[in-house]
Amino acid sequence: MIAAGARLYRPLTVADAVEVLADGDAELLAGGTDLVPALRTGRRRPRRIVALRRVLELRSRGAGADTLIIGAGVTYHDLVGWSLSPGLAATARVVGSPQIRNAGTVGGALGTANPRGDLLTFLTAVDAEVVLRGVHGMRTVPVGSFLDAGASPTELVTAVRLPRPCGPQLYLKVGSRQAASATVVSCALVVDRVRERVNCAISGVAGRPMRPLAAEEFVRDQVDWSTATLSADAVIRFGELVTEAAGIAVDPLPDDLLVSAAYRGHAAGVLAARAAGRCLSGPVRSRDASTASVTATPSTAPVVSAPDGRLRV
Amino acid sequence: MSTDASGETGIGDTGIDDTPISADVDPRVSYHLYLDGAVREVADVCFSESLLGVLRDHLGVMSVKDACEQGRCGSCSVLMDGRLVASCTVLAADAADAQVTTVAGLGSGGPARAVRAAFLAYGAVQCGFCTPGFVVAVTDLLARRPDADEDEIREALAGNICRCTGYGRIIAAIRSVQDARR
Repeated sequence: MIAAGARLYRPLTVADAVEVLADGDAELLAGGTDLVPALRTGRRRPRRIVALRRVLELRSRGAGADTLIIGAGVTYHDLVGWSLSPGLAATARVVGSPQIRNAGTVGGALGTANPRGDLLTFLTAVDAEVVLRGVHGMRTVPVGSFLDAGASPTELVTAVRLPRPCGPQLYLKVGSRQAASATVVSCALVVDRVRERVNCAISGVAGRPMRPLAAEEFVRDQVDWSTATLSADAVIRFGELVTEAAGIAVDPLPDDLLVSAAYRGHAAGVLAARAAGRCLSGPVRSRDASTASVTATPSTAPVVSAPDGRLRV
Repeated sequence: MSTDASGETGIGDTGIDDTPISADVDPRVSYHLYLDGAVREVADVCFSESLLGVLRDHLGVMSVKDACEQGRCGSCSVLMDGRLVASCTVLAADAADAQVTTVAGLGSGGPARAVRAAFLAYGAVQCGFCTPGFVVAVTDLLARRPDADEDEIREALAGNICRCTGYGRIIAAIRSVQDARR
């Protein structure tokens, strides 16, 4: 800590951090990419700041038999190269710029809860769980409930937990340009060949990333699970269903100066169909400048690789 | 969080305190920064000041440029413990135990010198405002990925914006540094 009575706290442990939070009236600082610019403009004026950069226990990540656990202090940069979750890697890779990816963290993404947050969209698709710690102990909540309730001011997000991938995963986004650009609409698609499920989440249409459940159910029934392939007609229909779901979203985002709600719904369907086409079309090698490219093989362990996608300045 | 996280939605902005900072609770702090290999004293600055603000307004480091203050343009790029960051997104007081490196701290020889020389030789500098940030980012890239191809170079520089030359001259300069080192 800087000085006695200071308004900036720099704890070394989670226990110390939650103790400061318990007193209330404090804002958390992780990578700083949201909070520090907001302090500059005066948009946010916290009385006290708890800086988490030195809490090393938040920076761990690991894998169990069925789950991955990622500490809240893990940065996007750390996730970009993570082979255990190609979908997370693909998502992290299209967040901001290298400067942002080096600083921004998983916990920061959850704390800020941007309705178009790239990571939140992927975490929504995989039914991730958020691990929270307060002075009275630890609890785990589904990411959807977490986003609905908002972050509690006296609790710290310490980690997220998500299932290990069991099939192709993809994250596609539309922005005003191809690199280092804000997400307008995005889509995360996660295929689980073991449980024979397809999960989809779209952002940019509602107050938080939403799941088009009817479209998911349609795909689940249409996929030939022996090969994990989907017909071209079903791919198109899936996109239409996602657009329909966007049209009846609870808490829809209104038209804004640049983009209408109708466009966003349409774009969500296009991205979803594109993602389904790539993840569920057998052996395909395609390339798309807007985001990561995909290699899906029809073997028992399909692979989605991010590193081939090229972004232009 | 991504650059799109403007927070304008208000969602998740818990803990906001809209009351003005009152004089009875002193928000000013003093600490040291490890800057370009030297210890610099920072005295009596607001605890919420960004690293960019402290470098320019309190330590007089003018090579770190102030443009967008949103982490989008890269003109304030520095290395913090060896990682490329936008100093406008770093809380200065939270950088007190980190090694901060600006373009001046990259060294007068070696790769940084070669990058600077190539920027001049290839006309990669026009108004020069973005140049210090670019030199930091390019030197960092070539240290990590000396053989980066053009696509990788473009991707690595996506967070540094130039509005004069375009990127062709900059990339030509970087390729020349790579060629000379082979």
